[in-house]
Amino acid sequence: MKAGALFVGFLLAFLLESLPFGPLYAQLHPDFVALLILYWALSSEQALSYVLIWLIGLLQDLLLGDLLGAQAISLVLMLVLLYTWMNRVRRLPPWEQLFFIFFLLLAQQLAAWLWPLLLRPIAWHNALLIGPALGAALWPLLTYLLDLMQRHWPQLRR
Amino acid sequence: MPGMSLSRPLPSLLRLVLLGAVSAALSFYSVGHPNLQQFGLSLARPILWLNGQVRDVWLAGNQYLQGQAALQSENTDLRQRLHALEMQNLALPVLRAENRQLLALLDSFPTAPGRVTVAQIEAQSLLAGSQQITINAGSAEGVYVGQPALAPGGVIGQVVTVSRDNARISLLSDLSSSIPAQPLGGDEPILVDGQGNLRALSVPFQSRDTKLVPGTELVTSGLGGRFPPGLPLGVVEGVERKNGGPFAQITVRPSANLAALNTILLLWPQTRHSSDR
Repeated sequence: MKAGALFVGFLLAFLLESLPFGPLYAQLHPDFVALLILYWALSSEQALSYVLIWLIGLLQDLLLGDLLGAQAISLVLMLVLLYTWMNRVRRLPPWEQLFFIFFLLLAQQLAAWLWPLLLRPIAWHNALLIGPALGAALWPLLTYLLDLMQRHWPQLRR
Repeated sequence: MPGMSLSRPLPSLLRLVLLGAVSAALSFYSVGHPNLQQFGLSLARPILWLNGQVRDVWLAGNQYLQGQAALQSENTDLRQRLHALEMQNLALPVLRAENRQLLALLDSFPTAPGRVTVAQIEAQSLLAGSQQITINAGSAEGVYVGQPALAPGGVIGQVVTVSRDNARISLLSDLSSSIPAQPLGGDEPILVDGQGNLRALSVPFQSRDTKLVPGTELVTSGLGGRFPPGLPLGVVEGVERKNGGPFAQITVRPSANLAALNTILLLWPQTRHSSDR
């Protein structure tokens, strides 16, 4: 994807991450940044840079006020897991991919949740499971819409 | 997505360890250096501005969808409440005078908690541990780190990061939040800690024979100097004494509804920043 399209995509994802629509939205919404990275990695012909993904996570930490480094390292771990099963995941249709997507989002969420243990206690919240489940449920729709956009505007591709 | 079958390079263990080590170093460094968080908040300004626009459109849409009938009904309801409050207000000067006399008898002087200003929420991050909101007021309005934040009902937390146009508030429910408190009408010093739950706070290290009982109202004690004394914090909801445990487990419901925050009040206590305003 072109850098401009990615910039707009991540801007939208950051926006959706922090919208002040009440605690229900704040606690249950899927991680849109992680979802966009997964789509980008699966649709890209080149391997994504781990350092670039780490930097995007760091930006997310800075923007949302989370513990610096938590989101960054968890996104890198998610990408490592994706690349481990890359060929298998790519061959699946989107509705079958969603099980992998759920697992990857859950792993990322748990890593980001556990990371602050370095410094302070943490607390379990059921939203940790619901966010990835909603993200996986959104996956077929998201891939359909983003594929459609890429077909409609081929200039979005590199 | 096009069906491609490319072998993806996995990162070397060394690269992963390096990224992990840098992340850990940043985590430790950021705790003692709030400037980094301040930089992040400044960086987030365009996104926060967009959030504010989306919130305004959302609220305007909600009002539009409510329809004229609902608005008229709400208007009538608000007028009735206004009349009731005006009636109550009539008695206020008398009560205030009586209160002043009583406090003078007790060799004390009434002080208002301070000046307040209103702010709106522009972003929220309510993760399991870190529970923070970002508001549309910053150092340009005189907001400072450690400033008390209130909402209808009572205290909701304190400012932890400030940029020029925004400030981030750590809610009472944040795992790192701990506010000095005391029972209303009592002087037993206690702490009210966050536990990552918007609806339940805790009071740590209370012996099994604690005087706190369900229904006890807790207010800020003023210890530490950040919060003026007497601001409502919460109400004790449960006191559990487990067999063998040295301490009672005390659950507190916040006085302000942290799960339904709309408008935030920032407080400038009388003792600080009041003389230069």
